[in-house]
Amino acid sequence: MKIALSGLNNTDNPAPGIGVAKSLKGFDLIGLSYDVNEPGIYQGLFEKVYLMPYPTLGYEEFKNRILEIKKDNIDAIIPNLDAELPLYIKYQDEIEKLGIKTYLPSLKCFEMRDKSKLAKFSEKLGVKHPKTLEITSIDDLIKATKELGFPIMVKGNYYKAYKANNLDEAIECYYKISNEWGFPLLAQEVISGIEINYVGLGDGEKLVGGVGMKKLTTTELGKVWSAVSIKNEALFQASKKFVETIGWRGAFEFEAMSDGKDIYLIEINPRFPAWVYFATSLGVNLPQMMVDLMNSKEVKPALDYPDEKMYVRYVEETTVDFKDFMQLLSKKEIQGEKNV
Amino acid sequence: MLLHELIIDENNMGFIPSLGTSYQLNTTAREIINLIKQNKSKDEIAKIIAEEKGATFRDVYIDVEDFFQKLKIYGLIQ
Repeated sequence: MKIALSGLNNTDNPAPGIGVAKSLKGFDLIGLSYDVNEPGIYQGLFEKVYLMPYPTLGYEEFKNRILEIKKDNIDAIIPNLDAELPLYIKYQDEIEKLGIKTYLPSLKCFEMRDKSKLAKFSEKLGVKHPKTLEITSIDDLIKATKELGFPIMVKGNYYKAYKANNLDEAIECYYKISNEWGFPLLAQEVISGIEINYVGLGDGEKLVGGVGMKKLTTTELGKVWSAVSIKNEALFQASKKFVETIGWRGAFEFEAMSDGKDIYLIEINPRFPAWVYFATSLGVNLPQMMVDLMNSKEVKPALDYPDEKMYVRYVEETTVDFKDFMQLLSKKEIQGEKNV
Repeated sequence: MLLHELIIDENNMGFIPSLGTSYQLNTTAREIINLIKQNKSKDEIAKIIAEEKGATFRDVYIDVEDFFQKLKIYGLIQ
């Protein structure tokens, strides 16, 4: 089976694709990239790498590119980036008709966990949620800071979140995020506690696998650099309820804060997180389970794993021919040198 | 109370399995935590430690009180 996957960045802002690729070592893998500088392209994980058009160009551009790539007999795609997921989810039936399998939630499910709708959604899950206001102007931001006070979280709808301690900082964050990612933005109450996360996979009815963790160290962007596996019953039950309540199909990451008593839902990412390989290394190979579900194979639930295991990222180096880089830029595809 | 979840290993490192938080303790901190887990009051704990260390109850009580405040700050007791 040949599987294409995206999210090949592997810097201090890692994307999930490399963790997914490492979990699917037994398959023929095709890398889908948006930038020739993504380190994952050159890690020897893919037999071929293609440059993709940006999702903002729409489905027709995407479809044309996929049809070109289909000559490599791709059987399935696992999209791993927030910015491309709306397109994949919206057109999943059309993609299926092209002969390419996906394993994604419905558009309705996807929209239910949108950051701007989490307040209502968290009520359904029986968890708390920090007060959040949508902002589309500086006026909105000022109003939000009056209502929520300081410190305050200023967040993009897809990417980036910064803590601001005063109005000047909040305005700086507002421009920093909106210039890069557009609107709307969100202003959110700061919850003090410990951030805990759960990566899981739903089959449309129930939770079939998952692992909980707490970040120990992060990069400047707040991305996990080291972590410890945890077993938190409230986090597990909330993740389970999330899948069962809306019939979630696909991967997800449940991000929460715990004050030791209550769980506060911060957000639910509709994809594998960049640390998905931690779960794989603990014996819960969620990408493999996803592929099995795509192929209508029976999947044994994998909800148990060892706690107190430590996940550590580290920097690795490699050397490749510069002509690979040049070829990817000019021809938009390269033959990889799969070495794992 | 999260403190009841705290597992302390042979090197006096405490760990909360549900939250993944860890704490470095000394032997006295370990003893106080064990006494709290046995539902001893602050007075009882100060008395036990004072007898063991040959210190005055008043001095030990101040330190025990300070330690309780730290446990509260870390969210381990209410």
